[in-house]
Amino acid sequence: MAGDLRRWLPPALLLLAWEVAGRLDLVASGALPALSEILSRLWQDRADYPAHVSATLAASGAGFVIGNALAVLAGLIFVLSPVTERLARGVNIAIFTLPPIAIAPILTLTLDGMTPRIVLAALGVYFVTMQATVTGLRQYDSRAADVVRAYGGGRGAVLRLVRVRGAVPAILSGFRVAAPNAVLGAILAEFGGGGRFGLGAYLLGSLGRGEPDRLWGIGLAATLIAGLSYAVFAVISRRMLGASISLSLNPAGPEPAEGGRTSPLIGLGAVAMPFVLWWVILWAMQVPEMLGKTPWQVFDYLFLADGAPVAQERLLAALAETLPITLAGMGAGLAFAFGLAVAGRLTPTFTRVFLPVAIVTQTMPLVALTPLLVLLLGRGTAVTLWITVSVTFFPAYVMIAQGIAQVPRAALELPRAYGASGWRELRLVTLPASLPWLFAAMRLTAPRALLGVMIAEWLATGRGLGNLLNQSRGYLDFGMIWTVAVVSVMLSVALYLAALWVERLAIRRIGIGPEN
Amino acid sequence: MTAPAGIALSGLSKTFAGRGKRVEALRDVTLACPPGSFTALIGPSGCGKSTILRASLGLEPLDAGRVEIAGQPPPQATAAGITGVAFQDSGLLPWRSVARNIALPLEVLGRDVGPAKGRIRDLIALVGLNGYEDALPGELSGGMRQRVAIARALVSEPRVLFLDEPFGALDQILRRQMNIELQRIWAETGVTTLLVTHGIDEAVFLADRVAVMQANPGRIVEVVEIDLPRPREPSLFSAPHFHALCDRIARVLHGG
Repeated sequence: MAGDLRRWLPPALLLLAWEVAGRLDLVASGALPALSEILSRLWQDRADYPAHVSATLAASGAGFVIGNALAVLAGLIFVLSPVTERLARGVNIAIFTLPPIAIAPILTLTLDGMTPRIVLAALGVYFVTMQATVTGLRQYDSRAADVVRAYGGGRGAVLRLVRVRGAVPAILSGFRVAAPNAVLGAILAEFGGGGRFGLGAYLLGSLGRGEPDRLWGIGLAATLIAGLSYAVFAVISRRMLGASISLSLNPAGPEPAEGGRTSPLIGLGAVAMPFVLWWVILWAMQVPEMLGKTPWQVFDYLFLADGAPVAQERLLAALAETLPITLAGMGAGLAFAFGLAVAGRLTPTFTRVFLPVAIVTQTMPLVALTPLLVLLLGRGTAVTLWITVSVTFFPAYVMIAQGIAQVPRAALELPRAYGASGWRELRLVTLPASLPWLFAAMRLTAPRALLGVMIAEWLATGRGLGNLLNQSRGYLDFGMIWTVAVVSVMLSVALYLAALWVERLAIRRIGIGPEN
Repeated sequence: MTAPAGIALSGLSKTFAGRGKRVEALRDVTLACPPGSFTALIGPSGCGKSTILRASLGLEPLDAGRVEIAGQPPPQATAAGITGVAFQDSGLLPWRSVARNIALPLEVLGRDVGPAKGRIRDLIALVGLNGYEDALPGELSGGMRQRVAIARALVSEPRVLFLDEPFGALDQILRRQMNIELQRIWAETGVTTLLVTHGIDEAVFLADRVAVMQANPGRIVEVVEIDLPRPREPSLFSAPHFHALCDRIARVLHGG
């Protein structure tokens, strides 16, 4: 009983504090309504929700199915033929890092109806599931594979009997992580694309009306959908696993997928592939030339055409605003995550209180969170920074905490056995062990940081790349829309690769690290 | 069960190259196991005893030498279902029940599982796992999983059985018990058996002949005939003659 009380008391107190602050309009003069006010507003608006929710569900569901089907297929191909994986590396990184908001305008301008939403949802799930499939298929029990081979079974038999079924748990956990991404993608496209129904459209329509309780209600609904989609797959994968947990002593280690020995030709192909794909898609879909710009046309717009100097100047000005705050936000988010993980190691209670709040903010789709933060923090630099921190710290925290948790017990207990204090043990064992994970977190959060900044710029501050994109959309300046999209994807890829480079360097120095 | 077949290894050599130094895992290993015999391969870790077994099954390529199982090279012999195998790790598929794990070799060999249902039931009884047909490996203890692996090794009605430290991960008491059961199974089926082990008492208790290996380079230094009468009873473990044989093998192992 006492344990139950300890667990439930902090969240209960938090809810109570929220209620009081909301009722008394304590936060930013009413920007944070009480939970009861939000719920009663939700009840008043109940007639509006079914149409919006079902539109969002339809788009994210279709995107989820299509994206995952492609992802599993791609994962299978990559495992069977590692060359294809190296060739597709550029495309994979681009899809992983691309800020959805940067390409949302292009999609809504070139495609019609539900298609942009489905595409963005599918893009959101592809990388996670593809990676999970590849990992699942690569990490199989080598002893079980030996048994199959010892009876004359070839590669096909090992794949069929051991690896495919063995990858199911990994793929399911990929689905679980990917599901909220699909919802986020769909809402983002709704937000940027007009259309009557969908939670994103609803949010956009309610934005200008200064009704915090409705905005919070929509945010809550979006959070609920994203959270439920995660929960559904969590339940399915638990059911599927049941007693069939892995019991191998000797899983085959993941083959070094990204060795340093990629031939220059394949490297060149990997870089060229995204551009070729971009060209092919435009050509295959017969997008009118005014709307769909080829890589060459974007280059022409930015460097050769009459307006090129002006375009360059605007782009550089926007970059000068976006880049510093992205780096600052990322740094702050990582520092916060690192401090949190270390604090969690020293005082587990702290983690227990803080973590549920953090998880809720993470499940809330970013587009829904941003207007709320604008209400709370205004439209200055602070809001951009906060949004960036909030999108980066959580994945980083999970990653670093995971790293700390993987330190063998014996290694942790050794300093203690010689009478070391908690701090000393931290300094000797925990911190060095978690450093590589910090770098891995940096790589994973860099693209998210840029996305956070661009959304904040678009919705709140009216500066930087996000704003340039929004403006160009208003003026139907297609050249600039494409340019911003391409530049922000490239920027994101560059941040990712820079973080990867630092991580490799660090791993070589320290000698340990996460596997991929 | 069809007539047992022999194993003939001649001139096996293998060198691993890694991290700047070359390790001679096997040098000119020659060993003949007559049909129906029980041979134990014993030696320190890294002497190449598992490499011999893996090479015999075609799992490991050799630099030189020839393996013949019932007069055939490994790929043909394994694909024909002449061999059975159990490794130190049971290597069970966690999502398959005990019965379906035992059926795995039949599926790999492309045989029908349906007609073998009764045989699988008999094997489960043989290894003492009655009532666990539908259990998943995660619900079994380590010793029980190892017994499933033994049953799986026998399901294809092999004429030659390869065992790679199948009881290596078990505790001493369980290991003795499994030794006694294995002897019974071997006596009932008459299958030619090659057992890789690092337990001297296990080798002496079970085998007709013990081939003793040494490392760097991996080679067979002596083959010790075990002339103890069969069936061998558990009381043998404390007999003076048994200990004399164990001591003799230990001396060879330590280069005496």
